[in-house]
Amino acid sequence: MDGVILTPSDFVALLNQTLEIAYPLVIIEGELSNFRVSKNRWLYFDLQDEASSVKFFGTVFSLPGPLEDGMVVQVVGAPRLHPRFGFSVNVQSVMPRGEGSIKKAADLLRAKLEKEGLFALERKRPLPAIPQAIGLITAANSAAYKDFTKIMDERWGGIEVYLADVYVQGAQAPQQIVNAIEYLNRQPGLADLLVLTRGGGSAEDLAAFNDERVVRAVAASRIPTLVAIGHEVDLSLAELAADVRASTPTNAAQLAVPSRSEASTELKAVSSVLHNALERGVETESRKVGEGREYLTSQVFSLFDSLKTELSGTRKLIHIFDPRAALKRGYAIISKGGRHISSARDLKKGERLGIQLADGTIGATVTGRE
Amino acid sequence: MAKAKPTKTYQEMAQELATYIGWFESDSVNLDEAIAKYEQAMKLLEEMENYLKTAQNKITKIKAKFE
Repeated sequence: MDGVILTPSDFVALLNQTLEIAYPLVIIEGELSNFRVSKNRWLYFDLQDEASSVKFFGTVFSLPGPLEDGMVVQVVGAPRLHPRFGFSVNVQSVMPRGEGSIKKAADLLRAKLEKEGLFALERKRPLPAIPQAIGLITAANSAAYKDFTKIMDERWGGIEVYLADVYVQGAQAPQQIVNAIEYLNRQPGLADLLVLTRGGGSAEDLAAFNDERVVRAVAASRIPTLVAIGHEVDLSLAELAADVRASTPTNAAQLAVPSRSEASTELKAVSSVLHNALERGVETESRKVGEGREYLTSQVFSLFDSLKTELSGTRKLIHIFDPRAALKRGYAIISKGGRHISSARDLKKGERLGIQLADGTIGATVTGRE
Repeated sequence: MAKAKPTKTYQEMAQELATYIGWFESDSVNLDEAIAKYEQAMKLLEEMENYLKTAQNKITKIKAKFE
């Protein structure tokens, strides 16, 4: 290159070419300063340490959420010399580093999204009682995947699981998780539940789940979401945005699917309820038959009684008309030649008569008419 | 090897079962009908028990890349 005279444009092109080959991507970690966003789109900041300061340029889409000067962040970017504005690193991703900065970034994002109502309880939807198909977003080789699927298999069967194998930590994780959520939402009828999960780790390991893009994608999912990140004590913003939060991957499986043994107990209870209902039906019917029998019996008896009463009346009547009863009262039956006499005109003087009294018959002779 | 997927989902069977429970909880006491419904419900319960014992989950890894 000695003695070669370049134009400024040639120099910029040459330097950029060299940078592209030598340092296509660099990772720089430092303290954030002069952080500003222009027109809601363009991003400018510096990263500095005690001795140096480097300029960065990018778009807000590469941000994990709101940031502030003083935070420690790790930036992945491509160093470039701009034809007019000089040197800067074109930002691809930004991640807060160190517990303090991560917490600060999460607090800022939480406040921002809370204000928007992203975590509001009214937004929460119930999960399907028994999912038909689960879109599972996690790392395929992770303990979280093993825990979730092991407990799910123990508890229930017949579910289709579509696994979206993604990075769950590192610079690529947020975009991969967002893409997986959006992909599953774009497949109509593929999954009726989304499960996003990973196991425990450091604050930096779990940072993707406090990334604004991930949190917004969870909140925007049309498919109900169940999110379980880290251990019981870890609470990420993605979990706050989810319809249901589980404490661990194991707990996520417990909340996602019912338990066979509980369902089996329920079936036994239903069986006994139906059995009792049928028995009650049989009892009701047999009680009805019994009641019918009693009614018929009482009707027969009542008919019998009324016949008896009727009979006794008739008997009394017969008794009244019995001539012997009249004889007892002092009347007599007079007969002539075996025939009853009812008129004095039928008798002549000297004729023999029979007079029947209550206790016997005597003979008599007609002596005259009076 | 997973068994053939039953034609009805567990949820569908559970809904069907609920209609039997509803019928028995109503006032109708036609004994012949009750016996027939009881037998149908018992058959359904057996299918559901069978589902719980045999159904297996199927995991498919999505081929699409999410980079």
